[in-house]
Amino acid sequence: MTTETMTVTLEVFRYHPDTDSEPSYQSYEVPYREEWVVLDALNWLKDEVDGTLSYRWSCRMGVCGSCGMMVNGYPRLTCNAFLREFMPGPIRVEPLRGFPVERDMVTVLDDFMEKLTDVKPYIIREEEQSLDDGEYLQSPSQLADFKQFSMCINCTLCYAACPVYEHEDEFLGPAVLALAQRYNLDSRDQGNEQRQQLIWADEGIWDCTFVGECSAVCPKDVDPAAAIQQAKVEATNNFFISLLPFTPPGMGR
Amino acid sequence: MRPSNEPFWWAMFGAGGMITALLLPVLIILTGFVVPAGGVEFSQLDTLFNNPLVRLIILGVAFLSFFHAAHRIRHTLKDLGLRSVATPLAVLCYAAALAGTIWAAMVVL
Amino acid sequence: MPGPLPRAKSNAWWNRGWPYRVFLLRELSAVAVAVYIVLLLLLVSQVREGRGAFNDHLDLLENPLFWIIHAVILGFAQLHTSTWFRAVPKSMRVKLGGRAVPPEAMIFGMYALWVGASLVVLAAFLVEW
Repeated sequence: MTTETMTVTLEVFRYHPDTDSEPSYQSYEVPYREEWVVLDALNWLKDEVDGTLSYRWSCRMGVCGSCGMMVNGYPRLTCNAFLREFMPGPIRVEPLRGFPVERDMVTVLDDFMEKLTDVKPYIIREEEQSLDDGEYLQSPSQLADFKQFSMCINCTLCYAACPVYEHEDEFLGPAVLALAQRYNLDSRDQGNEQRQQLIWADEGIWDCTFVGECSAVCPKDVDPAAAIQQAKVEATNNFFISLLPFTPPGMGR
Repeated sequence: MRPSNEPFWWAMFGAGGMITALLLPVLIILTGFVVPAGGVEFSQLDTLFNNPLVRLIILGVAFLSFFHAAHRIRHTLKDLGLRSVATPLAVLCYAAALAGTIWAAMVVL
Repeated sequence: MPGPLPRAKSNAWWNRGWPYRVFLLRELSAVAVAVYIVLLLLLVSQVREGRGAFNDHLDLLENPLFWIIHAVILGFAQLHTSTWFRAVPKSMRVKLGGRAVPPEAMIFGMYALWVGASLVVLAAFLVEW
């Protein structure tokens, strides 16, 4: 059999907010190419078969984080999911789980975006250093403390993998907590206290039961589960230290 | 958002998790298989379980293990859909752990 | 106009694949832990009652049902131990001389500690003192 004649079935989630009250699945036959990813197949569909098909994508190289979808039930970047992994098919393509659906595979990200800005994911200084004093210096060892957590591309695959986020509307979720931790661990940042109130609440780290799938599905190896566990250890240390009648040397916050 | 009291429960969950991870496999092999098979003399167990230090360790292990289990079961049931009764569920789990600890104290003291 | 589709929630999330099923089993190990501590305390209490109570308890433990219960508990305890040790490097970052200790080394350290602790317990039960 030559690859020219081979096809694969895509079962695509369809939902139109103006006309549909229920989502449905539509099956398409798509040409199979060994070097095609699921996103290529969707783009072929949109160009050649059905222009109404809606989904987000941009870079096609695992950097922009916009083409995340459920592929056969698991959250994947579709630019990174080769058709050959799922042969002989069919391949089921759905919007990321845990989010409201705007249309087809387009999810509503408002909740994620609000929570992300809430934790102030940027460097906070009590007092800005004057430009004349140069950059904030950082050693390679200090950089290594948070570098892994800084690789997040906000693709929200970790949210789709998280059963806690699915059920708990207030839960901040993996990526937001990992990014909060990324800035808390940054030696140049002084915003720890401003973020603590939010991330040390029940709706912050404490709703997490360490399922660990957020880290398993992350295309950038950010390991949000580890970030959350480390924040739990810090919050617990702080809780018991604050019960002491004195502040141990070097422990003041 | 109000401050959480989870660190208190999580600390006991963590300590109990560590102690059970280290000790339970060997203890289960001993008391579940070796002792019933007659591999340990009564006099040995008698000396062991009447030693004051061992009794204190057993009480500590029981206390931390019960609270470890209570915390984990509480959160698992919550994840499985008991979110609407989260508070009574927590009270029930930790009360059971406390009852277990009191029983353990009665056994070893 | 129906608008955006509300987010779907399902309590059957644990059955979505092996990682989730293993997670649930890992959490259920807590039940095995609690049951085992009860069994341990029963043994301690019978031994402290005296030789007669201990012998009665041994008759009970010789029932195959208790062998099966202990085997199941042992399986869960082993799952708990291995998953717990794997979680240690995720929760703690240890630096030696400015360099992070690799996760594998920390897990190895946990198993070394585990072997040591097990030997102490074995000695307490099996070596006369």
